[in-house]
Amino acid sequence: MEICSLVVNARPERVAEVVSGLEALPGVEVHGGQAEGKLIVTVEDAPEVAAADTVHKVQDIEGVINAVLIYHYGEGDSEEEGNRESYST
Amino acid sequence: MKVTRREFVKTQAAVAAATVAGVTLPASKTALAADDEWEKGIRWDKAACRYCGTGCSVLVGVRDGRVVASQGDPDAPVNKGLNCIKGYFLPKILYGKDRLTQPLLRKKDGKYAKDGKFEPVSWDEAFDVMADQWKQALKKKGPTAVGMFGSGQWTLWEGYAASKFIKGGLRSNNLDPNARHCMASAVGAFMRGFGADEPMGCYDDLEMADTFVLWGSNMAEMHPILWSRLTDTRLTKPGCEVHVLSTYKHRCFELADNGMVFVPQTDLAILNYIANYIIQHKAYNKEFIEKHVNFTKTPTDIGYGLRPEDPREKKAKNRAKGKLTKISFEEYAKSVEPYTLDYVAKLSGVSKHKLERLAKAYADPKRKVSSYWTMGFNQHTRGVWVNGLLYNVHLLMGKISEPGNSPFSLTGQPSACGTAREVGTFAHRLPSDLVVKKKAHRDYAEKVWKLPEGTINPKPGFHAVLMMRKLHDGVMNCYWQMCNNNLQAAANLNNESYPGFRRPENFITVSDPYPTVSAQAADLILPTAMWIEKEGAYGNAERRTQFWREQVKGPGESRSDLWQILEFAKRFKVEEVWPADLLAKKPEYQGKTLYDILFENGQVNRFPFEGKIMDERGNAYDNHESAHFGYYVQKGLFEEYRLFNAAPEAPKKGHDLAPFDMYHKARGLRWPVVDGKETLWRYREGYDPYVKVKNPQVAAGDVYFYGKKDGRANIITAPYEPPAESPDHEFDLWLCTGRVLEHWHSGSMTRRVPELFRAVPYAPVFMNRKDARKRRLRNGSLAKIQSRRGEIICRVETRGRNRPPEGLVFIPWFDAGRLVNKLTLDATDPLSKETDYKKCAVRITKA
Amino acid sequence: MTTQTDRPPRDAGRRQFLVDTLRSACGVGLFGLGLGLFSGRASSLPAMRLRPPGALPEGEFEAACIRCGLCVRDCPYDILHLADVADQDLATGTPYFIARTDPCQMCEDIPCIQHCPTPALDRGLDDINESRMGLAVLVDQETCIAYLGLRCEVCFNICPIRGEAITLEYRHNPRSGKHALFLPIVHSDACTGCGLCEHACILDEAAIKVFPLKLAKGELGKHYRLGWKEKAKHGGALVTPDVEHHYNLPKGVEYDLQGKGLIIEDQAGKAKGGVPETPFSSNPLDTLNNSSLGRP
Repeated sequence: MEICSLVVNARPERVAEVVSGLEALPGVEVHGGQAEGKLIVTVEDAPEVAAADTVHKVQDIEGVINAVLIYHYGEGDSEEEGNRESYST
Repeated sequence: MKVTRREFVKTQAAVAAATVAGVTLPASKTALAADDEWEKGIRWDKAACRYCGTGCSVLVGVRDGRVVASQGDPDAPVNKGLNCIKGYFLPKILYGKDRLTQPLLRKKDGKYAKDGKFEPVSWDEAFDVMADQWKQALKKKGPTAVGMFGSGQWTLWEGYAASKFIKGGLRSNNLDPNARHCMASAVGAFMRGFGADEPMGCYDDLEMADTFVLWGSNMAEMHPILWSRLTDTRLTKPGCEVHVLSTYKHRCFELADNGMVFVPQTDLAILNYIANYIIQHKAYNKEFIEKHVNFTKTPTDIGYGLRPEDPREKKAKNRAKGKLTKISFEEYAKSVEPYTLDYVAKLSGVSKHKLERLAKAYADPKRKVSSYWTMGFNQHTRGVWVNGLLYNVHLLMGKISEPGNSPFSLTGQPSACGTAREVGTFAHRLPSDLVVKKKAHRDYAEKVWKLPEGTINPKPGFHAVLMMRKLHDGVMNCYWQMCNNNLQAAANLNNESYPGFRRPENFITVSDPYPTVSAQAADLILPTAMWIEKEGAYGNAERRTQFWREQVKGPGESRSDLWQILEFAKRFKVEEVWPADLLAKKPEYQGKTLYDILFENGQVNRFPFEGKIMDERGNAYDNHESAHFGYYVQKGLFEEYRLFNAAPEAPKKGHDLAPFDMYHKARGLRWPVVDGKETLWRYREGYDPYVKVKNPQVAAGDVYFYGKKDGRANIITAPYEPPAESPDHEFDLWLCTGRVLEHWHSGSMTRRVPELFRAVPYAPVFMNRKDARKRRLRNGSLAKIQSRRGEIICRVETRGRNRPPEGLVFIPWFDAGRLVNKLTLDATDPLSKETDYKKCAVRITKA
Repeated sequence: MTTQTDRPPRDAGRRQFLVDTLRSACGVGLFGLGLGLFSGRASSLPAMRLRPPGALPEGEFEAACIRCGLCVRDCPYDILHLADVADQDLATGTPYFIARTDPCQMCEDIPCIQHCPTPALDRGLDDINESRMGLAVLVDQETCIAYLGLRCEVCFNICPIRGEAITLEYRHNPRSGKHALFLPIVHSDACTGCGLCEHACILDEAAIKVFPLKLAKGELGKHYRLGWKEKAKHGGALVTPDVEHHYNLPKGVEYDLQGKGLIIEDQAGKAKGGVPETPFSSNPLDTLNNSSLGRP
């Protein structure tokens, strides 16, 4: 499980556009901050997509001034991990 | 609303970002809400710590079938909410990435083969192959061809079930615990001195004493929470003093008022000097020794527990002899007379001033003295002797069995006392201090176990080291190792244990949660549900018994050791293992399995299991063994075990445990528990109810050592004798091995906790800077360490926590990548059979 | 808040990505810390960058270093990195290390400075223990588990300047009532800033961190001297020594002005708290009427 949070600074006039651009990315969720132009965004790894790569894509969205990583959590997965019950030999 | 871990982390992440940006999020998005929700979903319950003999209690927080939180138990009297660094990371030991989840068998072309590769198999196939191997060996050579190596980390009922299965079922006494490597010498001395195992004092002595003396114990690292209590007393009690004796400087020396580094093995002489000082200054407690003590001597020149063909054994006059002879006080006084201050100072290398200060501390009638020791005393070719010599000093002064005056043997393992010793998993023992040699004891065990007379073999089985030798020689062929890592732990790996494991006709089974060094050399690996993945009970060093419930399910197909033992017992029809004349005494057992006879005997299976174990707060817990076997297995085993200690007709008194359900409520109880009351100090009237039971004449507050028939403890004189191997021209350094705070034993659990691994990743060789320089080594250099038995490569550590004197090096044994037991010598105490891991000769060169 | 110009996207590794983004987050990140909500994974949060041993003070170092990379090449543990263009707060091409991920291993022969072609790394430094790469600071006593009474001491145990750079202060634990606290204390006169302690700290976010010296050290007012140190340096009182004092005291009571204060002897004549010379009273009757005989 890998989860990051970002503060994404968007050009005030393009906030709505940025939000939809963000939400189109896999594993991205916008939690708030539209009013301030400082979007609170979480990024989690989705199947086949690492959170790290998604964060880079965030920076490419039109209207994004910058994106700042605030929080990063990455650890062997709790839910998925316990399920390995057989060996491939 | 149910919050998953992922959602929780995500909310936390969002709130962190919002806080930084100064943005307000809708209330539903705040971490506090999620936090709260998350916390509320945690089920808390108590458990005993998985590691050392201190016996700290922890609270375990489970959510969605996973341990998500832990804390020190604030109500536990031992640790009051504290933990050491290992305890802090306890939940992580369950979740190492390489947990074993399926039985693995060496196979070639679909069949078991000693030289095959490990392949996953079903439990059925695993036990079929194993039972087949065991039956072949039994048929060929009888019960001594098979054996089991258990553990002081087993739960009480696992040890009890194993003892019953091996001794009562298979009629082999080849059952020994790894506590043989750890506590056997302490046991030997308890039995010889007092006729009953385990300490008379308790941890409250840590607050009551004026003087503390550490003999071969690095308590600062090995019993961290107890050391914290001792330190607090030293800080807060005016006049409190700490004396520390060791063969190298370690963390305890930081607190020592009188730190003494002595030449290995000369602790024997130092103790005799103290006794001599007490006698010369007439400081001994005359009344006490007249009333409570017998003076005896033990045979000398007893060898070193090596193989009989070793020249050192051939030379020994009284090989392995230990029968005591009564002597007079005057004879005793004469026996310690040669141990003068001058002689002992020279022999030990400790300054006269320091030795005298130590002797005075013991001899001062006004000071309460508590002595603590661990492996420095026990892993000693004269371990029983040296334990006894310390009791001599306490007994001479009458400083025993009362608050603050305590000779106290600290145990290494969480249940060395509870499981290995009290339950009797040693090759010569039965539960509650009974022994296989005594007919009356066997009779009683057979009666409790509902077995025909003559079932239990009167001959003690192979002890830990002998098992290795018998495997090596092909005398014993089947070996089941549970809950320990003996290939890493046993001495002389290259020449004894490893060849034994890999001998073609031998079949080695290893039960473990992780692929250890032992598992690597095994033929069958059984995946173990560990610690709180099963209901358990441990007994710590101060006679405190603690229980816990099954908190989470073991991964995959892993099962507890208890499940494994009971299930394996189903594989044996009684006709296959008992002779016809024995079976004829109990014809109703015909056609039954050992499981039926031993466990579905109307006693063990008498408590129903309702599908869940409930606590007082209404929480429900699984119990995978009870669900499988159909009755409350742990309760049944424990209550049957209590017939050995709490039943009025039990042959050995003074071990009473409370009823099963009490322990699920209490934060541990110190035995003997009589009428619901615990015992803090043994053998003293007022504190110990058995004193009056055994002898109504004893005056109020007086002592009575009721383990012995005449109520007297033994002072046992023994001389200094040299160790089995000392440095010489060729191998010029002493090697001492041991542990570090961050790792538990062989590191199979703690090295899987990333933070602990990062803190101490590899075992270095701690050496004196001058010794390093002489060999053109410096801190961080790679060094080759060689003994007559093998070699390993370690990095040199000259500035670390252990500061050896010139001529001695220390290497911890936790590191599977640097197996220090390739170097060690399998010399043992001939009486206790415990290996001396503290003394052998090595040389070091640049690697 | 730190602003950052748009950069062409690049296919960066995860670690690089974290480093990039985090650096810019640093300013706001510290703000967040105060609120106690800034929690993340330790391994991905490098603290400060530190210079190799023997480095000139910051500013001078950047001027002297010719960015040749020999120190990086010679480090046997590969802990040193050269700042790249993206590392905006560090002069490009200059060497640094990050204690939390790869601390300095304190080689006795200091190979990293041996071939430095400039005075940037002081080749006159011949004792690694004299180097000052930074200073360890126990930044958070609220999460350091030693301060909570747990037995950790990993930083103390791993410190290569053992017993000098980090010492343990023993204190009574008033909460439990019967345990001691073993508190790690860093001493700037011995700490080299190698970062082994920060690396080993077992918390998710290290409670002990190494900072560049200028960030870590306070400075005493230039006028003020420490009396006890000045006295030791001087070998005695700086002014006229005190007179000998005498007191009105009842029998059996002494007064030690500079040490124990009031000393009241107990009945056996043994000073409370002191260690007796011998285990026996000077009065033989005390020994003969030995209270320990026949006692419960």
